[in-house]
Order: sequence, then C-alpha cells, then structure tokens
Amino acid sequence: MKKTISYIYVGLVMLFLYLPIFALIVLSFNEAKSMSVWTGFSLQWYQELFHNRLLMSAVGNTFSIAILASLIATIIGTTAVIGLSAMRPKSQNVVLGFNNIPMLNADIVTGISLMLFFLLLHIPQGYGTILFAHVTFSIPYVVLSVRPRMNRKTDRLYEAAMDLGASKRYAFRKIVIPELMPGILSGFLLSFTMSVDDFIITYFTRGAGINTISTIIYSQVKVGIRPSLFALSTLIFVIAFVALLVVNFKSNKEEEVA
Amino acid sequence: MAELIRLENISKSFGDNLVLDELNLTVNENEFVTLLGPSGCGKTTTLRIIGGFEKPDVGQVFFEGNDITALPPNQRHLNTVFQNYALFPHMNVGENIAFGLKVSGKSDQYIKDKVKYALNLVNLKGFEKRLITELSGGQQQRIAMARAIVNEPRVLLLDEPLGALDLKLRQEMQYELVRLKKELGITFIYVTHDQEEALTMSDKVVVMNNGYIQQEGTPEQIYNEPENAFVADFIGDSNIVSGRMVRDNVVEIKGTEFPCIDGAKDGFMPGQPVDVVIRPEDIEIRPYGEGLFNGEIVSKIFIGVHYEMLVKGEPSGFEWLLQNYDEHSVGSKIGMYVRPENIQIMKKPEYDDEKAMELDI
Repeated sequence: MKKTISYIYVGLVMLFLYLPIFALIVLSFNEAKSMSVWTGFSLQWYQELFHNRLLMSAVGNTFSIAILASLIATIIGTTAVIGLSAMRPKSQNVVLGFNNIPMLNADIVTGISLMLFFLLLHIPQGYGTILFAHVTFSIPYVVLSVRPRMNRKTDRLYEAAMDLGASKRYAFRKIVIPELMPGILSGFLLSFTMSVDDFIITYFTRGAGINTISTIIYSQVKVGIRPSLFALSTLIFVIAFVALLVVNFKSNKEEEVA
Repeated sequence: MAELIRLENISKSFGDNLVLDELNLTVNENEFVTLLGPSGCGKTTTLRIIGGFEKPDVGQVFFEGNDITALPPNQRHLNTVFQNYALFPHMNVGENIAFGLKVSGKSDQYIKDKVKYALNLVNLKGFEKRLITELSGGQQQRIAMARAIVNEPRVLLLDEPLGALDLKLRQEMQYELVRLKKELGITFIYVTHDQEEALTMSDKVVVMNNGYIQQEGTPEQIYNEPENAFVADFIGDSNIVSGRMVRDNVVEIKGTEFPCIDGAKDGFMPGQPVDVVIRPEDIEIRPYGEGLFNGEIVSKIFIGVHYEMLVKGEPSGFEWLLQNYDEHSVGSKIGMYVRPENIQIMKKPEYDDEKAMELDI
C-alpha cells in the first residue's frame, strides 16, 4: 500500500515535470497550426524549421557564441585561479568576493549596465558584444568550479613533480592541469549551458539584426508562435536528453571498471 | 665520513612566526639522520629547505661544499618521500615511478627495467599497471619510496612517511626502511615526531623544539644522556626532578642524597641547582628501608611487557614513575635504589624551548 502511494507520488511529480515538454513534442508533429487540436501527424514544421534562414542563423549564433564564450571564459577563469593561488590569503578572499558579486547580481542589471557600457564607448552592438557579455558572466562560474581543485594537494603534487626533476612548465602541464581538469570541464559545461540559456543579457547587448534562439522566440511570441519553434525546442530537448543519457551511461560503466 | 649537506645559520619565519632560528646542521654521507620534535618545532621546514621548497630568510645550504641555497628543487640531487605520498592520481603505478626518469630523458628500455627494479626493491613486483586509488596506504607508501629512489638520488628526504600507517605496518616499514637504506647505500634524512621511529632507525638523532636544535647524537646518547629537560621528556618516559649538587658525585633530590657520576669536571659546582632525569626502568625496587629512599605504591597498571607504578616518595610526597617486571600491590611500602650511572644530571633550562613540554591531560 505504502509502495503504491509512493509510486503514484513519483508518477505525479514526473507528470508535472514532463507533461508540458511532452505536449510540446506532440504538437511539433501536428499537421495543423493549432495549439490545441490534433489533426494528424506531419513533419512539415521540421521542414519549415530547416528552411527558415532566420531561425537557422539564430541556432548557429546561439551555439557558436556558447562554444566560443565558454572556451574563452574557461581559459580566463582557469588562469585567474592559478594566479590567485600565488596571492596572499587575504587578497585571495577580496578577489573571490568580487568574483561572486556578478553571480548574485540580477541579470537585468548586468544586461543594462553592459548595454550602457557599449553605448558609452560607441561600440556597435552585435555578435561581438553578445560574446563579450557571455564571457563576462561565465568567468565567475569557471573560477568557482576550478578553484576547489587548486588546493594543498595540488601544491604538493606540483612540488613532487619538481622534486623529481621536472621544470615548472613541465610540472604544470603534466601534473597541475590534469589535476584541475575535472573543475575545468565542469566550468566549461556550466558556462556553455548558461550561455545557451541566457535571454536577458543577450537581449540588451545584441543590437539589431542578430538573434539567438531565446531572442528570436521572444520576438516571435509577439507576432504569434509558429509550430516550427516547437520543432526546434523538441530537437534541443532531445539532444540534451541523449547527451545526458550518454554521460550517465559512460560514468556508470567507468564505475564498474574501477 | 665525508660531509654531504651542511646548513649554516639558517633562519626562516612565516609572517611573524619565527620557525627556525640560526640553525646549524651537518649531515654526513651515508648517514641516517632523523629530525625529531613535536609539531611546529621546525623539522619539516628544515627538510623543505634542504629539498629546495622553501628559501631560508638568512643562511646557506651546502651540498658537497657547494652553495645550493638558490638552486630550485629540480636541480638538486635529492628526492623526497612526501608526507601524504603525493602520488600522481591520474597516472598508474608504473607511470608514477617513471616520472623522474622520463623527465631526465632516459630511454624507454632503461625506464622499463628501472621501474621493475624499483618495484622489486619495495616488494611490489608486477604492480606497474595498478591505479593509485586501488592501493592500500602501505602500498602507496612503498610506491612513493620507489618513485624517489628510482632516480638514484644522493640523499633521500622522508617527511613523516609512516605517519598515516597503523602501528603494525609502521613497525614493519621501519625494518624495510633500514634494509633499503643498507641496500642503496645513500643518505637518509628523516623527519618524524615519533621517538620510537627515531631511536630504532637512525644513526644520528637531531631533537628540535621551537626552531632550535636541542641535542644531536646517537640514539643511545639521546636516550641515556639527555642534555636538557625537553629532550629527556620528549624521548621516552622519565622522572624529571629538581635537585642540587652537594659535592662531586653526590646530588640531593627531594631531601635524599644520591651518589652519581657527575661533578665539577662536567660543569656542575657544589650547591648548583640542577635538573635530574631518572628513567622509570632505572629505579630498582628493594625491601622497605634497604634502598636509597622509600615510598608507597599508589597506583599500578599492566602495560604488556611490564608494570607501571606511581610511588609516593617519603617524606617529600613526590610521585615517582616506576617500571618493573614484577608485580607489587598497591599500598605496599617499598625501598628504591638507583645506580649512580643511571642518574642523569642536566643544567637548569635557560630558555623556554629547553623545558619539558607541559601536556594538558
């Protein structure tokens, strides 16, 4: 009895979480443009999606910005962590405090201030400014995820490498970087998802004529959403879902080996 | 024996904390030297200065007469076994051991043979492909040893290498270390806070406290002839009491005169207040009234090999610590005797760091 109730409860939670997405997926295959009536199966919205140049360029922008921004942020953030480790603890805390502020700051404030900053310096807004903004808000997350790996143990390993005759550069490349790697990777992934997800900051820094997925959906809401956007959302969801499955499957397998 | 390493007037402080104060130390070739002391005494810092991981504020480090104070660790002919081993977690056992050889550009075949030889030496044959995470603490310890000695260093620095192991394994590894030292014929500089380790393995023990060397000598010298109360207290159990020289070869302790073997020739003048160390196993039990002084047993515990007793001396009331193989019941009155050569007389401490440690129990 207890068991059935718990199953029902979990089922309800799942339903609550996934029913909206399920509805979206179903509607993306709907023949009619209607958002409520099912008229028959069709792939026409997917066709429209792939033929819609505006949408496709938004998809391209979103992912190229996400990849570039998280790459740049990861490099800057990781070097920042390495630099931090050479500072006195007091100064480290000050820098880390400043590092945390942008994360707590409301996106809208960050967005508007970036926009004003670009206007003030007469920087034309477009792809470059979005990229700059995304790098800016990603760096703190990279610092936060890499920093815990830069600990006493890493210092000791670095010393051990030097003790065994390695040059500073060699010890850094062969010992410190692999030791930081899990943090670097999670910092990169975090930046990537933050960048793909972002709407507010992108909206204020993009200028005219360039769109990402989030901004194009927003602008289409005003004129009425076409089911091709359902198709796009479905694709993004499926890709994320598959990626998650692969990662989980792989880490399970690794655990079995170890 | 030829001098290998010499530390001259080394001072080092971290912030306001003076860790080493004008330390001088010589290590000879093929010696097993142990730096022994409580935590914070400066022993690890001394080792790190020898290894090149810390720069002294003042003073110089010499290696075979050459000043190496400014030399980075990767250019010194020594290797270190670190406290928590510092094995590279993303490499397997073989890659860990090969690291130093690879850096120095040895051929693949040479590296392979050498890794095999090193694993043999530490009794872990065939462990090349194992992951570090699969190893027990004792095995990791051995791999850390292998990784260091495979580079054929002139000196091996060991920073509390047995600290993380359990008692049985620690005792086994003590024998292993002495065996390795003999087989390799190199100099060991060993840091520990464990007096038993220091006494069993070393050729020379350097007892440190508060950044000063308190005494240097063979384990026997350190144990039998401690130079001050700190050393006596830190090395083994002891009765440390205040006394006064009466004349040559006689010292008065708690109202009783004891024959001893020190006098003006050792710098102890009649009437001079001194500290006296009597090891608990050196107090012999005699029938009441037949010893040098008497007392009543107030407590007794059995600690394996022998009994440990507290005896209230008459008439002073001072509680003496005794160790004896025979059982005596609590409450019985006994006489006690100490051979003159077992009474170790020391000058009174002039500095805080020479005093016995006050333990909060």
